[in-house]
Amino acid sequence: MKQILTVDDSASIRQMVSFTLTKAGYQVTEAIDGKDGLAKAGTKKVDLIITDLNMPNMDGIQMITAVRKLPGYGFTPILMLTTESQAEKKDAGRKAGATGWIVKPFNADQLIAVVQKLVK
Amino acid sequence: MTVDVGSPSIQKIERASGLIQDLLGHAETAIGAVTAGFEDLARQANGVLEPVASIIAYVEDENFRIILSNVEALALAAKGFIRERLDATGGMLETVTTEAKLLDRLSELTRGQRSIARETQTLSVLTNIEVARLGELGAGFQYLAHELDEFSKAVVQGTKELASHTDERKASVNETRRMLGAGLPRIRQEFSRIEGDLGRVLAELSASNDQLRCAPEQFRAGVEEIAGQIAGVVAAIQSHDITRQQLEHVQEGLDLIAGKLTEADEADGEATDETALVSAGLAIQSYQLRSIDETVGQWVDQIGICLDGILRISSAEMGRIGPLVLEQERNLSSNLACIEALEQECQGENEEVQNTFAGLSNLMQLVSEHVEKSRYVRDRLQLLTFNSIVEANHLGSKADAILEISQSIKRISLSWSEMTDRSAQAMAEILQLVEGAKEKMQAFSAGGNAELLAAQEKTHQGLENLRSTATCVAREAARAEETTIHLQTEIAVASKARDELRSSFSAIGSAQGAIEEVRGQMEQESPNAIKRADRREVEALFSKSYTTEREREVLQAAVAGRPLPCVQQNLTGNSVELF
Repeated sequence: MKQILTVDDSASIRQMVSFTLTKAGYQVTEAIDGKDGLAKAGTKKVDLIITDLNMPNMDGIQMITAVRKLPGYGFTPILMLTTESQAEKKDAGRKAGATGWIVKPFNADQLIAVVQKLVK
Repeated sequence: MTVDVGSPSIQKIERASGLIQDLLGHAETAIGAVTAGFEDLARQANGVLEPVASIIAYVEDENFRIILSNVEALALAAKGFIRERLDATGGMLETVTTEAKLLDRLSELTRGQRSIARETQTLSVLTNIEVARLGELGAGFQYLAHELDEFSKAVVQGTKELASHTDERKASVNETRRMLGAGLPRIRQEFSRIEGDLGRVLAELSASNDQLRCAPEQFRAGVEEIAGQIAGVVAAIQSHDITRQQLEHVQEGLDLIAGKLTEADEADGEATDETALVSAGLAIQSYQLRSIDETVGQWVDQIGICLDGILRISSAEMGRIGPLVLEQERNLSSNLACIEALEQECQGENEEVQNTFAGLSNLMQLVSEHVEKSRYVRDRLQLLTFNSIVEANHLGSKADAILEISQSIKRISLSWSEMTDRSAQAMAEILQLVEGAKEKMQAFSAGGNAELLAAQEKTHQGLENLRSTATCVAREAARAEETTIHLQTEIAVASKARDELRSSFSAIGSAQGAIEEVRGQMEQESPNAIKRADRREVEALFSKSYTTEREREVLQAAVAGRPLPCVQQNLTGNSVELF
């Protein structure tokens, strides 16, 4: 079963990502911020990461930068799920190594479709 | 600062910020409860869909679909069968009416033949007398007297048999006529009722068949609709996170304003004009809170609508499918029983019609034999006539009496011949009647029932499948119903959590009120303060914390003094932009 890591300081967002992807047949691990996300990615290799941008302790951009340096994460798809829609933020995310950008709220069907495409 | 808004205002702003802080705490708890409730609800909805999906699989099974058309075919065959029997029974009444007339004619013929027999007997006696008178000359006529005597006896015997049978048959036909004549209107009425009942059965079958045909489509539409409602809740719950961030941004804005006011307090007496900036900042936060309040209203409502939608589709619409299939099975079984009962009723009329036909066949047999005998008698009479005339002529005047007897035999022979022709005619008519009756009897024969029997056989086999399907459906329907009860409990819990969530956001109004109070006081003490604010400076100061497009739109409107832009919340969710 493919492993997904969802990183968000909002419990409800984590639950919704988990609910949506579990139903689609994925195993989802939750992390409460960038620091937690980085630790969990380091402990167990995941197939895809969905992360928020603004989080306490470590934000999404910092986490992506750090994750990309972890062994085996060079090409792991990382999607940013945030309320931000500014071009400069997206650009920062892309430069840090994000694979895609979703402005909250996500569309469940489309999220599943993209995840299926990325972790095939 | 030109206006003394110092400490009381800071306190009010801090109070507003505190209200927002409390609100965030309550809302976090409430959204947690809503999320948990929703997840349970979605699980229960899935629990309803699973058994309904099994029911749909049964409905879509070939064996199940065939039974419906089989029962329809059976009802149609039974209807045709009953219609044919009704027509045939009416036809049989016409047959017995015609037969009664024929029997009258036969009675008349037998009376005529009996009269001839008596005459023949008389002639036989006269011939014997004449033979005795002629002595040796008359010896040749003894055979004539003997033949006449024999014929007379044979005719008497033959006509007696026919007359007896005709009388019996007349009595029987009259009884049948009376029965059918009196009963036919009732039979017709009964058959019309049976026909009507079958029509009703067919209409019922057709209606429930149509309903069942729609069930798989309804199910698929329902599943899609539930998925849509679930997606709606997923998106709405995510909106809480956006709201939370926006409220935090307002808090940041209020902290900034409180900081400005504190700076003003500390620089008491120094000429600073931050009133315009503070006033504009308060207006912005007030706008943001109004915007948040409207947005919250939308997504909380969406949660409610979608949760209700899940319940409605899962319990009401999906829950209907199982009972519909069971009702169909009950309907089919009872309709089948009804068809069989109606067939039985038709069989009740069978015996009378069968008897009529059998009697008619016997009559034909008897008349046929009688005609044969009559023909034989006619031929012998003709021969006797010829021989006696030749013999009498040969004897000349001595045999005048015999000649007279021969002339009488000739006359009798002609009458007999005519009666034989009339008997033959009657027999031809009876034959025609029998042929007609045979045709009508087809409706009552086993062959006539073949279609009906085949349809019955097929239906009974199918009904067994249907019953076993119904058992499975009943089990699945019970499972779905049980889950629906849980679902209703879950929806009550989730609805309560949603109400608590909505009420936790009511503090937005209080926070906004506190902000407006400070701003109102500032406007009172320094009218048009907001208009004096440097727009670019205000935007630069407050836009830093606004990360969403909506917040930036609201900021622009507040700074320009425009009305709050309409909320165009995306509650279907956004797509993924891949780099």
